[in-house]
Amino acid sequence: MDTFIQLTVDALTLGSVYALIALGYTLVYGVLKLLNFAHGDVFMVGSFIGFGVLQLLGGAADPIVPVWLLILLVTFAAMAGCAALGVVIERFAYRPLRDAPRIAPLISALGVSFFLANSMQLLFGAAPRNYDTFSLSDGALYLRGFDVGNVKVPLLRIVTVLAAFVLMITLWVLVNRTRTGKAMRATSFDREAAAMMGIDIDRVIVFTFVLGSALAGAAGVLFALRVPTAVSIGFIAGLKGFIAAVIGGIGSIPGAMAGGLILGFAEAFTQGYISTRWSDLLVFVILIVFMLFRPQGLFGTPDIKKV
Amino acid sequence: MKKAIGLALAVLVAATVATTAEGSRRAAAASAAIGCNGTMKIGFPTPLTGGAGFLGNEQMSWAKYAVKTLAPRLGLKIQLVPGDTPVEQGAGAATTVAQKFIADKKMVAIIGPSTSGAVAASSTAFAAAGLAHVSPSATRTSLTQTVDGKKEGTSSFFRVVPGDYVQGPTDANYMVKTLKVSKVAIMDFQEPYSVGLADAVEKTLKAARVSTTRLSASNTTTDYSAFVTRVPSDADIVFFPTQKPGDAQTFAQQLIEQGKKAKVFGGDGSNNSEQFKVPGSYVSNFAPDITKVPRDKAIVAGWKKANPGKEVGSFGPPTYGAVEVVLRAIKLGCNAGGGKLASRKAVVRQVKKVRIKNWILGGSFRFSTKSNDPLNAKFYIFKIASNGSYQPVP
Repeated sequence: MDTFIQLTVDALTLGSVYALIALGYTLVYGVLKLLNFAHGDVFMVGSFIGFGVLQLLGGAADPIVPVWLLILLVTFAAMAGCAALGVVIERFAYRPLRDAPRIAPLISALGVSFFLANSMQLLFGAAPRNYDTFSLSDGALYLRGFDVGNVKVPLLRIVTVLAAFVLMITLWVLVNRTRTGKAMRATSFDREAAAMMGIDIDRVIVFTFVLGSALAGAAGVLFALRVPTAVSIGFIAGLKGFIAAVIGGIGSIPGAMAGGLILGFAEAFTQGYISTRWSDLLVFVILIVFMLFRPQGLFGTPDIKKV
Repeated sequence: MKKAIGLALAVLVAATVATTAEGSRRAAAASAAIGCNGTMKIGFPTPLTGGAGFLGNEQMSWAKYAVKTLAPRLGLKIQLVPGDTPVEQGAGAATTVAQKFIADKKMVAIIGPSTSGAVAASSTAFAAAGLAHVSPSATRTSLTQTVDGKKEGTSSFFRVVPGDYVQGPTDANYMVKTLKVSKVAIMDFQEPYSVGLADAVEKTLKAARVSTTRLSASNTTTDYSAFVTRVPSDADIVFFPTQKPGDAQTFAQQLIEQGKKAKVFGGDGSNNSEQFKVPGSYVSNFAPDITKVPRDKAIVAGWKKANPGKEVGSFGPPTYGAVEVVLRAIKLGCNAGGGKLASRKAVVRQVKKVRIKNWILGGSFRFSTKSNDPLNAKFYIFKIASNGSYQPVP
């Protein structure tokens, strides 16, 4: 039972990060029908921005602000930085190709991904960056928390999962209860019709990239609070976020959240109960199974073609 | 149909010709004489980027320093050529770099490769090209000795540090005799270095009747939570032979996070006091702290002057030693050839004859007569103190 509880905690933590990444993919796909393969690298940049701001604020060992404020500021800085990066990427890599054949923006996305990864490596080198969260308040984030049976749930895990859920709920409210969200949904449904209704498509698309990239930035910080970040993490994280989005139904926000959590559970429980060697394999098997039997994902709608 | 067969035959003939030409070119490159008066090249395949980039960059700084200071003393003009072999890219990167070095006619010897995986991937090619390759850090036993009927290195591969056949039992015996462990979890990362070392440790522990749990993660794992969950709550030690010290730090922190009592025991790959510094953990390495060796004072001072702001690590000094071995072998080859190397193989023939009286790691250096390993080399164990520094254990 203790193992089950521990693995559930692991799964929720992992799944929350995947869900945030998946949301970025799904938002952009929903509005633009574009798979933004640079999204994983935006996540990586977010973790580096967070590291930089953390150092500016005194580092984990001697922060100049309280711990809770430090984490908030680091997260917001990463979100803001990534949002700005998302705007730049959209403006220069995707907007000129909006009316081109669909393969063109896809290739452009791959190019942006390589560009970001290699630029970061050139600027910051290959060495991992450790937030050293353990040193924050003398390990309080690791040592304090609450117990579920014999299993300790440390504060850091709680912060990660709660923060991710708050962001997801905020996004849901934004998309479903605001005018801007309505415009986003209209654009994703029918871009031309939305334009004819007076919706500024360019603004909607930019806003979508801002949102998606900001979520990736937040995911980057939440990830790096627990494990060292490096330039190389973008690819794997992006891939898993993409798989989560596909499982949940690409274009569906609840789907991305569910997909992320499903992926987190699949990975954690496979590692815990079956074998640590099989977890990545199982993740890709799940993807293949969904593609074969439910290609629209859990919450997506089937593609209906008129005959 | 006839056209298809004809085309297939043409492709086959072309491939055969190309392969033969390549083989001839390599054989020619291996056998061509090289003048010792001009600039000769030494290649260095090492991970300059990726999770083990810290190791490669440290080794490169010492290799550059060694070439700069030692080559003129031996009357040699040497150009050091780096080749990046990130551990995450596995054998592919090592093979690509090896091919580039082999094709360079001025290349007379190789320092490295640094990692066991890269040696396993490229040693056959280097040997076919007649290139001696002397590693300062590849420790997998089967690179120089036959293990389960298999030997991964060739007769042209040498190393200046002892292999896992020393590290494994040293670490395991320390756990058994000093730490008095009863249960140990052992990780590997599905690549030659960690699997070899984990096997060596597991063998010694099992012989001492210590209960072991084996875990295996892929080389690209970053979050070890689920692995930590599988560590038995009464395990004393987790043997963690990673090549990425940051991962050792993460694992040790996640052990504390989950309230497990086990301490992390890293191999030489995790030796980095900036990245792995959880107090109470252990690390083993093939080099002592040379800043405490009196006769290395001048070398250390010179290196620090050339690398301001940097501290002496444990991977650099053996690299200096490897360069010294290679340069002396080249010099011996030049002397034997009357001022030129008869071929690249002339260096291979001289490597084992190298004797160094004042070895940078202490004592003197020579190769074993039984293998291409150093004679009587040993591993050192360090415990991480409360301030994060590495303290040698008695």
